[in-house]
This record gives sequence, structure tokens and C-alpha cells, in this order.
Amino acid sequence: MSAMRFTPRLTALAAALVLGAWAGHAAHAAGPLDERGALKSVTCAACHGQAGNSRSSAMPIIAGQDAAYLKKQIEDYAAGKRLSAEMEPYAKQVLNLGVDDVAAYFASRRREPTPIASPADAVARGRSAAAQCAICHGPQGQGDAAKLIPSLAGQAPGYLREQMLLFKQDRRSPGDPALTAVKALLKTIPDETLGDLAAYYSSLR
Amino acid sequence: MSAVSRRGFLRASGLGLGVLASGGLAGCATSMKGDFAPKAGPRVVVIGGGWGGATAAKYVRLLDPKVEVILVEPNREFISCPFSNLVLAGVRTIDSLTMGYDGLRKHGVRIIHESAIAIEPDQKRVRLGEGYLQYDRLVVSPGVDFQLEQIEGLAQNQDKVLHAWKAGPQTVQLAQQIAAMPDGGVFVLSIPLAAYRCPPGPYERTSMVAWYLKTNKPRSKLIVLDANPNIISKAALFRAAWQAYPNIDYRGASRVVGVDPGNKEVRTEFDKVRYDVVNVIPPQRAGAIAVQADLVGGDKRWCEVNHVTYESVKHPGIHVIGDATIGLPVPKSGNIANAMGKITAASVVSLINGKEPPAIAPGNTCYSWVSDREAIAVVNAYKIENGKVVQIEQKLTPAQSPLVAQRAIGWTQSIWADVLA
Repeated sequence: MSAMRFTPRLTALAAALVLGAWAGHAAHAAGPLDERGALKSVTCAACHGQAGNSRSSAMPIIAGQDAAYLKKQIEDYAAGKRLSAEMEPYAKQVLNLGVDDVAAYFASRRREPTPIASPADAVARGRSAAAQCAICHGPQGQGDAAKLIPSLAGQAPGYLREQMLLFKQDRRSPGDPALTAVKALLKTIPDETLGDLAAYYSSLR
Repeated sequence: MSAVSRRGFLRASGLGLGVLASGGLAGCATSMKGDFAPKAGPRVVVIGGGWGGATAAKYVRLLDPKVEVILVEPNREFISCPFSNLVLAGVRTIDSLTMGYDGLRKHGVRIIHESAIAIEPDQKRVRLGEGYLQYDRLVVSPGVDFQLEQIEGLAQNQDKVLHAWKAGPQTVQLAQQIAAMPDGGVFVLSIPLAAYRCPPGPYERTSMVAWYLKTNKPRSKLIVLDANPNIISKAALFRAAWQAYPNIDYRGASRVVGVDPGNKEVRTEFDKVRYDVVNVIPPQRAGAIAVQADLVGGDKRWCEVNHVTYESVKHPGIHVIGDATIGLPVPKSGNIANAMGKITAASVVSLINGKEPPAIAPGNTCYSWVSDREAIAVVNAYKIENGKVVQIEQKLTPAQSPLVAQRAIGWTQSIWADVLA
């Protein structure tokens, strides 16, 4: 403390802190409660993890995913286009609360990659099988927000594998023209390779 | 409580040096006497560290670290009721469902492992031992207690006639009784009239015990005596699953009124049924503290609350959450209690800061296992309309599947962390 001098900058900071504390008593300073979409998103954590960072293999991480992509998924779930008994009711709940706020909240969270580690040999096999995936999802699996192509990097492996199976069987969003190419591609890939691809993409950082 | 054990208790409870150093406990370190932890700023006390209370305690701290949170919970470990039917079938261990409270302490929640003995709403304080804790807002998440008196012979035979409806030692004991039952033996399960904790739970239990008996004791059978006229949750999916279990003898509208362990017999209103192993899930009401504090309604069982803030309609400043509540169109489930915990935390923090509480409805995701590898699910979504919780939609998985079971496992991992980590 002895080395600290009250420079103008520090004085201004101290004044701001005092004012902030005062404002906190008067009207509550901006906190997590006031962040856009934060309160509307609290129930999502039961499955998707705190701030959308699911720690399980089966439940997808939605933190850091592009907002427009998230919004389209909610709309497709609610309309019964993307089929999910679990997500259809919740999507309607999110639409009721305000999908733009919820999507913006999760999009602005920092993604923490899945803690589920896959065997190194599966990751290596997945890497060598991923060339065609990279055409759309990018060399690092980062996706392409402009085309509503999601980031796969660090995603939960069980979720990735389940979605690839659903694409292959045309059970995810049947009839969606944007998904024709990915479904055609996945039909050419054996089931066991899907697990390798999931291992690889979940390992990316 | 001796001085030594009191200090040990303070260390273990996290109510240790910080409070002592601030002078709060300096004069009364030998017992909980008087105001043993004086309030220095806004404080929320939470009674009950289950799915609702633990979540509420954590989220108050997350939403406003200026608010002190003290959680009062007698148990030192949290044991998950969801997935405990898997323990009865030998598929999971109780250890895999047992977690500590250290995660909450990391959020700055102070935990006192004692039972709250009374609430004094006018003084805004909770009585513990010979002392009390003051609060600005109180969250009561008392869970359920059993109405043993409603079944003759139950109260005096609690050691022989198990409920296993609060996961813990009874879960393990019932699993041992089922494992020790001779092949050809009869397992009888008694289900109370709704409302009770976890509507699909008894039918999941039926499925898992039937799977276990079919696999390990193929000559045994399972008689289900359900006080309700029919399966009350996920009925078509359970019926479909039970096609694989001809060992189930399901009898609706069969309310058990007495149990006689001497003769190994249960009595319904019309019949007597012999058993080798019996499991009586008793009728239930809100946990005792809610009854003692006059938070229950005219039915003397459940607590009516405001649908937005969960504030008791009987006592302002006291919020009641979880299985103890009634009047919302939601099941008594862990997922609902978790959601209520978060919404209540937001309400309480808003009210303490002079803001309007947000109007957020809970959601319910409920998985049930029907074999060692397959599960089913029901999901309920809600909204707030004119200040009331209204259901938007209920949806069931189309069929049982291993993929649903994988998502059930994912759900436990996420929600246990949401409650405790």
C-alpha cells in the first residue's frame, strides 16, 4: 500500500467504486441478474450445464454457439421440424420467454470444451476421416455462422454421435433442404466411424 | 454438545473463523444460544439442502455475492433420489448417487448441519438448538414427511417395512432384502394416492425390480398395489415396457390400509396379500418444519405459494419450494425443485435489492428407467399467465430406448452439478 499514490486515474477509479457502491444500495448495480437473457436461461442449466457448458457426454454444450444457429434450432424444435420429445416443449417455453434474449445469452458465454476424453486412437481415426466434414465445418470444426453451420469443436462426444446417427437415418429435421448434403455424406460413413468423428471433434480446442 | 464437538461442528459447517473473527460467535462458542451468528448485511436462510434448497442457496450467491446465505441441513451428504431405483436392481451403487456439499461452500454458502426446530415469522428468525438465526428472507425446502399413521401397523414396524422413498440407508436395505429373497418369492409394492413425491417413481421402481427378478429370480413375482385407479404417469410407456415383464401383477385401486410383518401380510380395503419382501411407500405431506411453521394449507399437507416468487400465501418473507408446494400444475420432481430453487433465488435477490421479481416459469424433465439399459422420458414446459404457472405442453418420448437412457445419465451429470457444484 505504501507504494500506492493517488494518481488522477486511481482517484477516478475510487470515485467510481464509491459511486457504484452507492448506486448498488439505491437501485442495484448491473449484475448477473441484469445481463440480457440470464434469468430467462436459468432453467436450461439443468441439462445444458451452467451457462450452457454441459459437462456430460449426451447433453450438448450451447455456450459460445452462434445466436442465429441457436435461434433456428429453437424454432425448428418448437415447430416439430427438428424432432425431440425433450426439446419441443422447452423450445416453446423459450419462444414464450423470448428466443433472441436466450440465444444472445448462450452465444455470449465462453465455451468450455467437454471434459469427456476420448481414446487417442479414436481421435486419430476421426481426424483422418474428417476431411469432408471440414469443407463446411472448417478446419478446426469452428463452423460457419453466416451459413448457420454450428461449431463442433469441443462439443460433447455422445451428442455429436447421436446427431450424426439421426442425420444418417434422416430423423433430424426430415425434409430440411439445408441438411440434404450432410445427410447424403453421412449415409456413406459407417456407424463405427461416426464414433471416431465424434471423438475427434470433441477433442478440438 | 460439548465445547470440543462444537468447535468441530463449526469447522465442518463452514461457520468457523470468519464469523468468529467478526465477533459473531465469540461469546457463545459452546452452544447455539441466542443470536449465535449476528447478521451483518442482507441474509437469506435456506432450510433444507435437497434439490430445491441447495440450488436456491447456490444461486442466491451467484446472483448477488453481497447477500449472505446460510443453509440449514441435518445431513452431511446429499443422496440423489433420482436413479435410486437403479440401486434396488443392483445396476448402480448408492455411493454413485452420494455427493458432498463442498461445492456450495466454494460459492460462499455457510452450512449448518442441524435441524431447524421452529420458524418465527414475526421476528424473522429460525430456531436452532437454543439459539436462532435472523434472516431477511427465508427459503423453506422441506421435502416430504410420511403419514405413517394412515397405514395400520406401519409406525411401529418402520425397521421391517421399508419405504426407501428418501434415498439413503433404506434404499440399500431394501436392495439387500430383494437380493436375499428366495427365487419364487413375492415382492409387494404399495403406492399411495397422489399427490406424492415423484409421480412416475413407483412405476420405475416396478420396472427395475421386475427386471431384476426376471434376470435373477425368474420364478418370483411382483404384486403392485396402487391406491390410484391406474398408473398416474407415463402410463402407456410403462405398460409397453411391462410387456417384457410377465412377473408384474399390477392392481389399480388397491389402497393398502394395514401391514402385519408377523404374518408377512398387507391388507387392502378388500383383500389380504402375502409377501416375502414388502415396500410400502406411505402417503406424504410437506416436511415437518412446514407444518410446525403453519405454512401448510387447509389440507394440513401441502404449502400454497405465489407462482412467481414462491412466497408463502400464509407468511410473507418465507418462500417455499420443491415437493412441499401445491397448486402449481407441476409434478413433485427433482427437476422442478431445482428450477424453483433458481427462480426463487432470483426473486429473493430482486426483492432484497428493491427490484421487481422476474416472471419465470419452471420446467420439468423426468427420465424413468425401464430396464438396465433403456429409459423413457416426459417433459413439461410452462409459462406465467396472469401471475399463474400454466402448462404450455407435455411431451413423452415415443418409446423406450438406450439413447434416452444415455440422455438420462447426461441429465443427472448436469443437474447434480447445477444443484451442488
